[in-house]
Amino acid sequence: MQSTPLLERHLFTSGPRWWQRFWGRSNERVGYLFILPSLLHLVVFLLIPLLFSFYLSFTDWRGTNFYSAPFIGTANYEFMIGDRRWWNAMGNSAYYTLLAVPLGMIISLAIALVMNQALRGVNIFRTLFFMPVISSWVAVSVIWITLLDPRAGILNYVLQLFGLPGVNWLGDPATAMPSLVLITIWKGAGFQMVIWLAGLQAIPNELKEAAAIDGANAWHSFWRITLPLLKPTTFFLLITGIIGSLQVFSSVYVITGGGPRGATDVAVHRIYLRAFESFDMGYASALAWILFAVIFVFTLIQVVYMRTREESLF
Amino acid sequence: MQKRSSIFALIMVLALVLPSLTTLAQGGDQVTLRVIGLEVVPDERETPLAIAKQAVITRFTEAHPDVTIESLEAPPEFDTQLLVDLAAGTAPDVWYQDASTLARLVDTGNVVDMRVCLDLVPELTLDRFSPGFLSLHQRDTGEVWGLPDGGTPMVIYYNPESFERAGVEPPTSDWTWDEFLTVAQELTLDDQGRNRLDPDFDEEHVVQWGYRDRKYTFEWIYWVWQNGGDVISPDGSTVDGYLNSPEAVEAITFLRDLVLKYGVAPEPSTLDQISQEFGFLSTFLRGEVAMFPRGHWEMVGLTINPDYTPGRVAVVGNPSKVEDATVIYESGWVINALVQQDPAKLLAACQLVEELTSTAYQDTKVVTGLETSANAESAAAAVEASAWPEIEAVFTAESDDGRAPYGARFANWPIVESALDGMMENILAGGDVDEEIANAVEEIGRELARASSSQ
Repeated sequence: MQSTPLLERHLFTSGPRWWQRFWGRSNERVGYLFILPSLLHLVVFLLIPLLFSFYLSFTDWRGTNFYSAPFIGTANYEFMIGDRRWWNAMGNSAYYTLLAVPLGMIISLAIALVMNQALRGVNIFRTLFFMPVISSWVAVSVIWITLLDPRAGILNYVLQLFGLPGVNWLGDPATAMPSLVLITIWKGAGFQMVIWLAGLQAIPNELKEAAAIDGANAWHSFWRITLPLLKPTTFFLLITGIIGSLQVFSSVYVITGGGPRGATDVAVHRIYLRAFESFDMGYASALAWILFAVIFVFTLIQVVYMRTREESLF
Repeated sequence: MQKRSSIFALIMVLALVLPSLTTLAQGGDQVTLRVIGLEVVPDERETPLAIAKQAVITRFTEAHPDVTIESLEAPPEFDTQLLVDLAAGTAPDVWYQDASTLARLVDTGNVVDMRVCLDLVPELTLDRFSPGFLSLHQRDTGEVWGLPDGGTPMVIYYNPESFERAGVEPPTSDWTWDEFLTVAQELTLDDQGRNRLDPDFDEEHVVQWGYRDRKYTFEWIYWVWQNGGDVISPDGSTVDGYLNSPEAVEAITFLRDLVLKYGVAPEPSTLDQISQEFGFLSTFLRGEVAMFPRGHWEMVGLTINPDYTPGRVAVVGNPSKVEDATVIYESGWVINALVQQDPAKLLAACQLVEELTSTAYQDTKVVTGLETSANAESAAAAVEASAWPEIEAVFTAESDDGRAPYGARFANWPIVESALDGMMENILAGGDVDEEIANAVEEIGRELARASSSQ
């Protein structure tokens, strides 16, 4: 015999009728209570601000006296079309993504392949590679500014040892973005390595052993077995990498401030400048929603792919 | 059940009434003012500035026992935080406001017209302020938005040792652009001691630059004024016809030429290279750059720098072309518009502003070297009492040629300034002057048109 829990008896069988009716209809009524704190948090701190920012994108709110902010329809979105700085920032975000994502994936895969071997002290190396991931972006940025210093930095010192001229890594528009990408890869490679490792360890050894018996060398085995079987991992890292790259901000803010000459002024940094330096909250909200739309497309691709894959498995 | 409800109701009533009773017990109309601008950062707790600020709080609360000062620290990103607080109705009652972002607050009705205070507190009169500083807060229509505390005109700092090394006489404030250029050329030295005017000058081995020229509008806008031009119309509605006027183009070209034609100022990337290792102030004090434009506040950073010696720092007024002009960067005291809803609090806030702008406080504050006092009497006394009276005298004299920063007048200035910074960055990196100016005129025109269409 199943007894009615005390909590249910008191909460759901007393009170107004609509309350009793609501709980009476639900089979998972206690579940709602458990998720209530998270739901409240989600609504108050995510959903409401999200909807609020969407509304703001149709106003010309300059940061004070919200109630007198004029509603301007789609004017912010129309203005964006001719905003050179915004398109420069979107172009920079695309450039950053095109550099950082494939390079980061290749380098982290190479590290993961090595870390997947039965080497002595491999766990120590894995930990070392992962350490930048848990380091603060600001601290990492300050260290890299020092390393890339044109006069006192170690990179230029090494170049000079080989008789090469020094490079103004962060001060030259041509090298500033590649330098940022270098820092991003250094910081993020550990995380991607862990994901690659999980993918690598899910590949049955029998397949490689069978291939070896058939005469495949390590190179063939990698191209014909490992890489195809890493397809879901590759896809996951590619999509999350693109999404993360489109959202890059901290490193740009701390290291280059969007310079030199706008060469590293990426989308989120531009939104930040419009919102918190120009106090142009309405327009900044519109820009944020456009960026959201772009990111949403990539998220959608990932969701569709994962669903298709799940369906093909079962 | 009924008894429980009664007890609950009684508790609620007491909770509401007790604080009021406490206030009455304390003497009735006790007023608490939340103030930002009287706290210092932890590193400066024992400095004369901190002592001066603490003393003024004590003095004021002793003179006004019915007023409590709740002194709040200025949060990081103060302008942003203030916006949030104003939107939420939790902004301080009185705060220290940079005049270069004042217009935004005025246009949105967030601060009190200080003429109200002049009526409420007879001791508070406008004649205590230097006219140059006061004008930053005044409007043609008579309003006075906040009252000035202190500030600084932009002047040119120079290193006398660099001049001595180059065998150049230090300039005086009546110099012209042509004289400035010649001095900068003579100050720019290669590693053989040859200057820019020497035909054998070695471009690759410059050890001392004449001047620091940067993209930031606040460091170059007054060069346009000196040439009789401007970058924006008097009502702030357009830059077309101003930024692209012959006077403005000539001034901007001159600044570009200092870097790219005459080679007396390092290119931005070179400047980064020479100043990143130890910071620009060390670069200046060590004699790698002989002159740079800056305000009074830089004295603080210079005098605490390990490379500082008194013989390495001097200042001179800006050179002129058509007229003498500089910009004044200033901060003052403003009162939250919401305070007007409470007459007792408004009176207390006005009394506090009176105290903060009086000689009693200003005399103790100016010794810090951060700025020139807006109180004329205190500023004059500071020149005599200063450890560097010649420097103070230059700042005081240059204030007479000072103009208000546009952020004090136009709410949309931050957007214009950002575009002007970008324009100058491209020009100093080799961009075509006319093309870059035309781009900026178009970009700023779009921005201002958008802003005006929604107002």
